[in-house]
Amino acid sequence: MKIVVGGVGLVSALGSGVDANIAAMREGRSGIAPSPSILRTGNKIPVGEVALTNDELHRRLNIPIDCHLSRTALLGISAVREAMNDARIPQGLRVGIVSATSVGGMDLTENFFREFIADESRGRLRDVRMHDCGAGTDAIARYCGIEGYRTTISTACSSAANAIMTGARLIRHGVADCVVAGGTDALSAFTLNGFKSLMILDEKPCRPFDESRAGLNLGEGAGYVVLLRGEDAADPYCTLAGYANRNDAYHQTASSADGEGAYLAMSDALAVAGIEPSQVGYINVHGTGTPNNDASEGAAMQRLFGSHIPPFSSTKGFTGHTLAAAGGIEAVFSSLAVKYGLLYPNINFKKPIDGRGPVPVCEFAEGKDIKYVLSNSFGFGGNCSSLVFAK
Amino acid sequence: MDMECFVENIVTDKQVTSDIKELIPDAGLRRRMSRILKSAVMTAIECAGGTDGIDGIDAIITATGLGCLSDSERFLRNMIADSEQLLNPAPFIQSTFNTAGGQIAMLRHNHCYNVTYVNRDCGFEDALLDALMRMADSQSRRVLVGAFDEQTPSQYRIMERMGFWRHGTCREGSVFTTLTAMPTDSAIAELSCMDFLSGPITEENCMKSYSGGDDAVLLTNDMEDVGLFPVVPARLFAEGVRKIAEGAERVIIYDRHGGDRQTVMVLKCIGH
Repeated sequence: MKIVVGGVGLVSALGSGVDANIAAMREGRSGIAPSPSILRTGNKIPVGEVALTNDELHRRLNIPIDCHLSRTALLGISAVREAMNDARIPQGLRVGIVSATSVGGMDLTENFFREFIADESRGRLRDVRMHDCGAGTDAIARYCGIEGYRTTISTACSSAANAIMTGARLIRHGVADCVVAGGTDALSAFTLNGFKSLMILDEKPCRPFDESRAGLNLGEGAGYVVLLRGEDAADPYCTLAGYANRNDAYHQTASSADGEGAYLAMSDALAVAGIEPSQVGYINVHGTGTPNNDASEGAAMQRLFGSHIPPFSSTKGFTGHTLAAAGGIEAVFSSLAVKYGLLYPNINFKKPIDGRGPVPVCEFAEGKDIKYVLSNSFGFGGNCSSLVFAK
Repeated sequence: MDMECFVENIVTDKQVTSDIKELIPDAGLRRRMSRILKSAVMTAIECAGGTDGIDGIDAIITATGLGCLSDSERFLRNMIADSEQLLNPAPFIQSTFNTAGGQIAMLRHNHCYNVTYVNRDCGFEDALLDALMRMADSQSRRVLVGAFDEQTPSQYRIMERMGFWRHGTCREGSVFTTLTAMPTDSAIAELSCMDFLSGPITEENCMKSYSGGDDAVLLTNDMEDVGLFPVVPARLFAEGVRKIAEGAERVIIYDRHGGDRQTVMVLKCIGH
């Protein structure tokens, strides 16, 4: 059974909607700001923040402010609505959702906790109502009219890739006819301070795959694809031809030097798609900009592709690392890369790692003949997932 | 849905008899693990038949409601109390929902499929469905599926303020099961059916539709239970397996998830 991408939707620091995001990348304009302006934190450190407050998001989405949805849910609703409008899903299909998040409603919980730890009778309860990850998915389903099978996945930064993989399998097995799959994560002081405590945040704009890279910039946003059986989509972007989930099983937060998990995920995904490494036309790498990830992912790519690594780039220099949303946002970029032959620049790249590391795409290009795109998403807990999108 | 698998083993945290020092010899690792992580990982290892047993697992699928809650809470408290300065990363590292699944894989460098569902009390059934799909596609032959949930005093206080009643059900703990695509010598039960209904049905109709003429036992979940914790349905599943082990021909598990979703699972005795 052929599973296709029938619609796409996203919001990131580059803007709301697919067009705004592609336009920004075409112009080489990054969404990373020197420090957060909406997030409540004392940290002055670069982030990719969506330039809309929660109240503004409620208004734009036509949701009463009293509903008091978490930022994670609001970003998700924005992207899912766009993807569903784009897909024009045929009537009568059982539509499900597989959504990914790593923070859930933490952005609101933080407000609650500031008061609660001083006095346990204080803190507004409506700030913790959406704490758990499933609550955000429920809200997305409710405000987007999704009534079928619904679940939530959280495997840290690989979450949305796993959601997309699961969505395809649910259609294959007849659990749903159509699945909206992807991920959403809001910036939170919790994650910003978490990554800061791990000392993997760059104090300057991140430089994935560059010799001088010194860490990642956190971002926020949401990205979703509408998965359908081939026969149900009139004008699909591409086919979801392969997918794989493997574990690095090396360290809770670090990747192995030889990139074993990444290598296994990429090679398995190509095997599922039934293609050779030489057929891949573009790789949207995980490429966070941390010394460890890029060295490990680079090593895995060298193992799989030898000296013929296909054109590749990290788009995280534009969006920041959007954690559980990253695999969704990058699945949208990958789908467009297949349909329109796009290559995205890996901004801020100057020198390859150790002078001989892989060199990413540095110029925006379109109209390229790209048949297969590989998208990588790796996370804490050793989770490594790869997706293959095909013409 | 026409998918099936066999329950080879099922263990709850209360049944773990091994010494943690034997199962997890690394003292440093033991020290870093929170209470719920220890509970989940110990239960998983015991279920797999010891640490070596992890080698034979080709998918690790976990479910949790609020994850490693005490670590999340600790990081949040430190962050606020210390004004975002000089924070210890350990509780942040441990707070991710997939920590238990990752730890199990790391113990034996098992590179297999590894995923975590965080879908309130539906997560355990979502994990079972994932396992069934993997086995139907011949991608896995022996899958470890588990649910774990932790409760903290703050969370209890918050839920109390929200007006949830505490009525007997313990929602903390771990349940792990090993499922196989083919029956093994130690198979206890067959999971022969898993259906997501389009709406609630009466218990009588559920029995009629799923008993298949057998002398079936019906198990249902408490409708009033707080629907956040997949360990609750996981315990119900364990009870169903135990009833088969004790001689029941067929057990029908009907979970109404507080009216939010209706799942039916059918367990049968082996060779029936």
